[in-house]
Amino acid sequence: MPLLWPLLLSAALFGIGVYGVLARRNAVLALMGVELMLNAANLNLVAFDVWLRDVLVSGQVFTLFTIALAAAEIGLGLAIVLRLFRAYGHVDVDRVGGEPATVLGGVEAER
Amino acid sequence: MIGLTLTIALPLLASLVGLAAVERIQAAWVAVGGAALTWVVTAVVALPRLGEADPVSGSWGHAWGNLDAPALTFALRGDAMSAALLLLAATVALLVQIYSVAYLADDPRYRAYAMIVSLFSASMHAVVVADDLFVLLIGWELMGVCSYLLIGHYWERSDARDGAAKAFLMTRFADVGLLVAIIVLGQAVDSYRISDVLDAVAAGEIGDATTTTVALLMLLAAVGKSAQFPLHSWLPDAMPGPSPISALIHSATMVAAGVYLVARMHPLFVASETATVALGLVAVVTMLIAAAFALAQDDLKRVLAWSTVSQLAYMFAALSVGSVVAAIGHLLAHGAFKALLFLAAGSVAHAVGSTAFADMGGLRRAMPWTFATATLGFAALPGLLPLSGFFTKDAIVGAAYDATHADAPGPAPSWLAWLILGAALVTAALTAAYATRAWRLVFGGQRRGTETAHEAPALMRWPLVVLSVPTVLMGLAVVWPGWLGGAEAEPVHSWVAVSSTLILVAIVGLTWLLGRTDEHGVTIDPATRLGPVRPLLAREFGVDAAYDRLVVRPTMGASVLTLAADRDVVDAYVRGATTGALGASRLLRWAQNRNVQTYVTVAVVGFALAAVLAGVSA
Repeated sequence: MPLLWPLLLSAALFGIGVYGVLARRNAVLALMGVELMLNAANLNLVAFDVWLRDVLVSGQVFTLFTIALAAAEIGLGLAIVLRLFRAYGHVDVDRVGGEPATVLGGVEAER
Repeated sequence: MIGLTLTIALPLLASLVGLAAVERIQAAWVAVGGAALTWVVTAVVALPRLGEADPVSGSWGHAWGNLDAPALTFALRGDAMSAALLLLAATVALLVQIYSVAYLADDPRYRAYAMIVSLFSASMHAVVVADDLFVLLIGWELMGVCSYLLIGHYWERSDARDGAAKAFLMTRFADVGLLVAIIVLGQAVDSYRISDVLDAVAAGEIGDATTTTVALLMLLAAVGKSAQFPLHSWLPDAMPGPSPISALIHSATMVAAGVYLVARMHPLFVASETATVALGLVAVVTMLIAAAFALAQDDLKRVLAWSTVSQLAYMFAALSVGSVVAAIGHLLAHGAFKALLFLAAGSVAHAVGSTAFADMGGLRRAMPWTFATATLGFAALPGLLPLSGFFTKDAIVGAAYDATHADAPGPAPSWLAWLILGAALVTAALTAAYATRAWRLVFGGQRRGTETAHEAPALMRWPLVVLSVPTVLMGLAVVWPGWLGGAEAEPVHSWVAVSSTLILVAIVGLTWLLGRTDEHGVTIDPATRLGPVRPLLAREFGVDAAYDRLVVRPTMGASVLTLAADRDVVDAYVRGATTGALGASRLLRWAQNRNVQTYVTVAVVGFALAAVLAGVSA
């Protein structure tokens, strides 16, 4: 399989991810865009690893690290989104940033 | 010296202690007790000085100042003239404090009022016993401040606020004359002590031009303080103040200070013919117009105010024909009967709730004490024979007559003396007319108002009774030879006494006949007989309207212009700086809009551009 195919797929994935991060107003969808970009990078690592026939398979090892990292990142990110929803009642990134109307109420509710 | 100091320090102390009073009754005790103590000390200090030619004087502490300028000292001086005025001021202040306890029984601001009256009394004493011109100036200005505060006592009323501001601004304008005069004198004599100045005048050490300048400047200050033409219009507008304050301002303090200043500096005025003539002309114009205005007023206190202006002009006339004795004598007698009249007006206002003639009439039955004492006051005002006004007013007329002789020792040219003599006789007639009219409108006929009148409470009644004693007897005291120390009393000319009594009787009778009663027994105002002249007099010749056009409106215009220059020109630069900074920050804020997606978009686009450029250039 020529190297070009996975690279094209990876570029497309990365482009879609960038678009998602830049254009989506929903925080969950923006996080999904970030995931797409990470996975595009993973695909690149695996593709070059195979193409170079690396005996240490460092590309694939990196990929495993990245997947673990991505899992941690998405956990943290979704936790933030959850707090955001509790505070504002929505996850629209354009509309957050002011003084949250229900932040105290949310904390109270949690207790 | 200690006694003289105490006459200033005690009321000052009473005023300060009054600040600590929490309850109304405490303030009343402090005020009345302070005034009583002051009165006792004043009597002890002043009585031995009466009839003494030589003053006691002294100063406290060392001189303040440096070698370049004459030193300032806290110097006091007591002679017969200051002793007489001290007695008058302390007596009236004591009676006013007693009277005010009852008069302002329901007033929430009584404590501040009593305190300021004490301070007022201290300032008048300072003016009277000052030997240093700056001590005199301090007392003089403090009196201006106190009168402002007291005239504006009912500051909820706009006429009280306006009257207070008018009194303050007009007298303050005139006071500039006193300050400049003091500085010029200090330069000329190299001392601010009044004794030194008078010695220098007696020795002829001051140049003619300086003498005239200083005398005219002091005349300006006295004209403002004593409400003489052309600065006469503040006094009637000061009437919204409480009646006891009018009694204080109009008799023993404030307006008396102007006469006292001219009397104290009399040798200086005598030395300048210009100043003497100016003094005499001011007095002639003032006594005539003020007495005429008093004829047409609809308000009892306003009649009394114009009468004060007119009587003060008598004193200035006496000073301009060279008789200090007649002037101070009339000042004392006038102080007694005018204080009595104003306190009586206060009793009437207390009873009927107003000072307008429209609410009075027939009060002789409801208020017998006020009626009896006010009748004495109204009789003394035009100078009915045995009462004080007769002796002192005729002393002035007699002095004017003496000055008409070509060989008269006085400073006034004989044409001026004739003018003053004529004006004084005409004014005596006008005084008789307005006094009769006011007396009849207040006490004669039937009631016009609807409220039931009642006699004043005892605390207000007794000061009236006490004041009627000097009103009746003061005349005998002031013809006592040499009571003012050295200078002989004016002999009473028999022709003056006879003719002025004839004029008086004729005018009183005429006024009485002119006044009628309608079918209900209510007195019709005799002033209605004045016809078309009456509105002219009631408008006071439109002097205030002229001041409004010539002074008030240009000043307002200038202040509006100044405000506009400050707000629209100077402030424009300041506001321009803020507007510019705000606009620039709005532009810069665009880049920092808190939207992470925008930041990332910019980063991505920038990275892409950089990549494309790198590719193109490679």
